[in-house]
Amino acid sequence: MEQSGTSSLLQDAVQELASGVVSALRSGDHARAAAPAAADGGAKDLTLAAVRVLGADALLPSTLLRVPPLPDELARFRQAVEAYPPGAGAAPTVAWSHWAMRRTLRRLDPGRADGPDEEPDATWLEGATWPVLTHQLAVLAALALPDEDCAVARAAAQRPVDVARGFVRAVRRRDWRQAAGAGRWLTLLEGVPRTLGLENGLDFVELMGGQDPLVALQVRAARLTRAGAFV
Amino acid sequence: MTSTEKFTEELTGIQSADIEAALDPAETDGIYRDSRECAALALFKGGYGLLLSPPTPRPKKG
Repeated sequence: MEQSGTSSLLQDAVQELASGVVSALRSGDHARAAAPAAADGGAKDLTLAAVRVLGADALLPSTLLRVPPLPDELARFRQAVEAYPPGAGAAPTVAWSHWAMRRTLRRLDPGRADGPDEEPDATWLEGATWPVLTHQLAVLAALALPDEDCAVARAAAQRPVDVARGFVRAVRRRDWRQAAGAGRWLTLLEGVPRTLGLENGLDFVELMGGQDPLVALQVRAARLTRAGAFV
Repeated sequence: MTSTEKFTEELTGIQSADIEAALDPAETDGIYRDSRECAALALFKGGYGLLLSPPTPRPKKG
């Protein structure tokens, strides 16, 4: 499908932002993540939109490494949350992505928490086939965090074998983004078949798709989670 | 007009629809390897043999 110019610009901006997050996760220097050089006008719009699309992962270095975000970084994140709430009838992934960002703000800026923390509806995952479940979880991989308790995480926890099957399917289809997102979830789940070879699988996904910053981000997050960066 | 509405109005370049589309992507079309490529990759990275095996044949439509 041909992308519009705006869509292409947005995707480029998301990739650039993700690349900064990966660098920050590798170096522990969160300053490079979601706080690009001061921008105004269209560039600022694009940056905010990119933060909204990358979602809670835009502040992943602060979340995973427990480093306080920079004030500018946090302000930009909050602006993105406020500027792009889910519209009426928005897809579940849009609503959950926004919820995850608000949850991140509550964690990192508790003094400015606003509104209820009510979860969006998660019934769309009930009875989802394993390929659909894996696809949706991969889209919502920003929710795959240690100690994250939400309906999406609980749905994943109930179906580790299905997510493992989805991971293998994604690898076979060369859908590296989906594979990386599913792999990130699998690092958190109990009951993943040992025969899956998740460590080798993540290595392979990184080898084949790691030049895509969105893939590299998920693989890096998975490794940090597995290594217990949260502890 | 609230400050949020004013702020949103200023975001003229990117529409909410663009963002919602990016946040709810359809699954990409799969690209399946053929057996020769699998074999070459398996030789190159022997440890990944399980993942590199050819996919199960898909049922034919119709």
